[in-house]
Order: sequence, then C-alpha cells, then structure tokens
Amino acid sequence: MTTIDTRGTGLVTADLLDAASEEDALEALHELGCTDGLPVVIPTPERVARFVLASGFDGDLVLGDLGPGLGAATVELVAAAAVMAGCLPDHVPVVVAAVQAVAQPEFDLTEMQATTHCTAPLLIINGPVRDAVGLQSGFGALGPGFRANATIGRALRLAMINIGGARAGVADMALLGHPGKFTYCLAEDEEGSPFEPLHVSRGWSPEASVVTVVGAEAPQSVMFVGDADDPDAPDRLLRTLAGSIANVGANNAQIGGSGVVTVVLNPDHTAVLHEAGYDRKGVAEALSGLAVNTRGTMRALNPSMAGKGADDDLIRAVRNPDDLLILQAGGSGLYSMVMTSWCAGPHANRAVSQEIMFGQACEIPGMRL
Amino acid sequence: MALVTSAFWKQGDFVARSVGMPDVPRLMLPHPVSATGKENMRRVADSIRDGVIAALRGDGS
Repeated sequence: MTTIDTRGTGLVTADLLDAASEEDALEALHELGCTDGLPVVIPTPERVARFVLASGFDGDLVLGDLGPGLGAATVELVAAAAVMAGCLPDHVPVVVAAVQAVAQPEFDLTEMQATTHCTAPLLIINGPVRDAVGLQSGFGALGPGFRANATIGRALRLAMINIGGARAGVADMALLGHPGKFTYCLAEDEEGSPFEPLHVSRGWSPEASVVTVVGAEAPQSVMFVGDADDPDAPDRLLRTLAGSIANVGANNAQIGGSGVVTVVLNPDHTAVLHEAGYDRKGVAEALSGLAVNTRGTMRALNPSMAGKGADDDLIRAVRNPDDLLILQAGGSGLYSMVMTSWCAGPHANRAVSQEIMFGQACEIPGMRL
Repeated sequence: MALVTSAFWKQGDFVARSVGMPDVPRLMLPHPVSATGKENMRRVADSIRDGVIAALRGDGS
C-alpha cells in the first residue's frame, strides 16, 4: 500500500490517497491532473517529511499564495512538489526561494498563469549554491542532463500546477505554451564572466545565493561570428542581439517595451563586449537604444497595437535598460540567447530576486527515498 | 458582471471560485469575438443585450 500526499492539488478533498503500489499511485496522480504529463516520484508522507526537514522551515509555514487558484504554498506542499519533480533534499531551499519569488505581487503570477501567452518563469541562480547543488552554467545549461537544473525548475512548475491550480485549458490558458513550461532553470557562469554577477548588480552581496525569476518566452538563438580584426565586431554583435530583442512578433515590440528581456551571452560574446569597454550596464543601455522598430513597421504589421504617432517614430522593445537581464552562461561558441517576455499584468510581470535561505537541517538516519 | 467567451468559461468558473465569488454574474459569449469584424461584434452585442440587462437587474445570468 502506498500513501500519496495530494494536499494542495485543488482537485481532491482527501489529504492522503491510498494506492496498492507505486505504479497505481502514479496513474492516480496522472488521472487527477497532478503531474506535468511525465512520471513523478510519488510524494509519500515519509518523503515529503524528509524534504520539509531539508528546507529548514516548519511544514506549515506559508511561503505565499499562488494564483490563479490562490492556494497557500506551505513548505510541506512545496516539499511535495520537489519530491514529485525528482529533486534531492539539497535542492529544496532553492525551490522554496523560487516559490517565494513567484509569489511576490510584482511577478503577477495569477495573470501570468492565466494568460493565453506562452510565458514561463525562467530561474537564474547565482551565488555559492550553484556549486553546492550542482547547477549547470556551461554547455547545455538549458538542456537535458543536469539533475539540479531539471528538477528545480520542474518543482516550481509542479507547485504552480498543484498549488496555483494552473491546469492547461482550465486555468492556464496558454494557447501553446513552450517547452520551458516543463522546466526552465540555469545558473550564471560567474567565474567565467568579466561582468559582476547578476545578483550583485541587483543589490545582493557576492556571497549570497539568489534565485531570480523572470517571465520568459522560449529562447531565441542568436548567432554571431566574431572577428578580432574587425573593430566593428562589438557593434555588430549588439545590433544582432537587438534585432532578436525587437523581433516584430514578440510582445516586447508589439506592446511597447514594458517587459523584461533576458539576454544570455556565451563566454565568447561577453568577451567581445567586455574588450570593447562595455560592462553590464553599458550593454543594457546600448541594447535598449538599438532594439527598436519604427511605428510605421509595426503599424503595417499590426495596426491595432501600433498606437498613435508618426511612422518614423522609434518604438523601443525595452524602454528601461534596467529591464534587460544580462548574464553569461553556456559553452564557448557562436550562439547566445534572447528571451523576450509577456509584458502584461498589473506590474508588467517584473523580474524578482529572492535570497536562498539554508536552515539548520539534518538527515534522519535510515530515512532514504 | 463579466462577459466570458465560451473558450474561457471554465477558467472564469475557476477564478470566480478562487477569489470567493462563485456566484458572480457571468454571461457566455461565442468564441472568438476579438478580431471578428464590426458586423459580427454588433450581432454578438445584440444577442446578449437582454441577458446583460437581466443580469444587471439581478434576475438571471
């Protein structure tokens, strides 16, 4: 007999469900809509208790309410999501911080989960926790093969489904979604970057471990071939990145630059800009100025969204340079990435950073998964 | 009251329950309405007029 902890699913009234086996329990969770469609680790009370302990907090501590269902995200329910996602106990503090971050009002989670747009929270991890839990910041950081990246991002999604109630076609009305809605998590390559770490630029100390959440579309690959003999290379790179940021189909271009855009530079591209004298702030200011479309261009494509004004008006895709999150990650080579955003919601879906807190947790002898 | 298209009816129910307003008056519109042209939007408006008035009077939704 397996006991399943399903509190917070929004679909069942019982605190615990019984099943004859782990296989039956898995099928029951799929049937109840409590998974992301992939197999999960069964959140038995013992496993959940172990993860609550790993969080360092009491299980009934409420981290925030998750919309649109406005479910109370207790540490226990978040621990259940982390179990289901396949996390290790050491990952739990990161998941807890991510939940705290998306629950902040300025993240607009209720509206973000309910929109027809494809947006998903991208988790960017900074600080010592990256090495402590094995978060990947290099080659393939957004791809498969890295347990911490995969499961921490997935745990947040499962919390958003089971505590926030965001089930596709009922409360989550994304017309298509995107693969980052399964998991979307990477670490910054702080050691390889000439720029100060992202979290430091957002006001944290270098010693702090911080998760930054930002609503993001699927990444657009940005190819740029450098040339050390070409003095115009930095400008060409900036204009290439800006072209992706100002992609005429994206909300940032269509609704006037109110949203946050993430730019993930690979080490080679960061070096091109650094050697030309740019720091993170300088890159952001340059991109904000270059990522533009004329009103005439936008009017020709989508007149209802183009607003009033002359055809030669320049419309920025990111009005405020501070709304460009620039970080280094990935392997050395030709490709960087740009993630444009939804731009809507009462606060235009702000990016939120949250410090990861580590409690005085200890393992219970013999209590293993 | 809320005007909700058929494709979003379940979401409307979900959100109404979540915010503690399960009985908030709602009227179903066909889906889609957006971008279907002025003529169609007038037809939709005509078709729901009596329902809107009734709901605002509190005698049905």
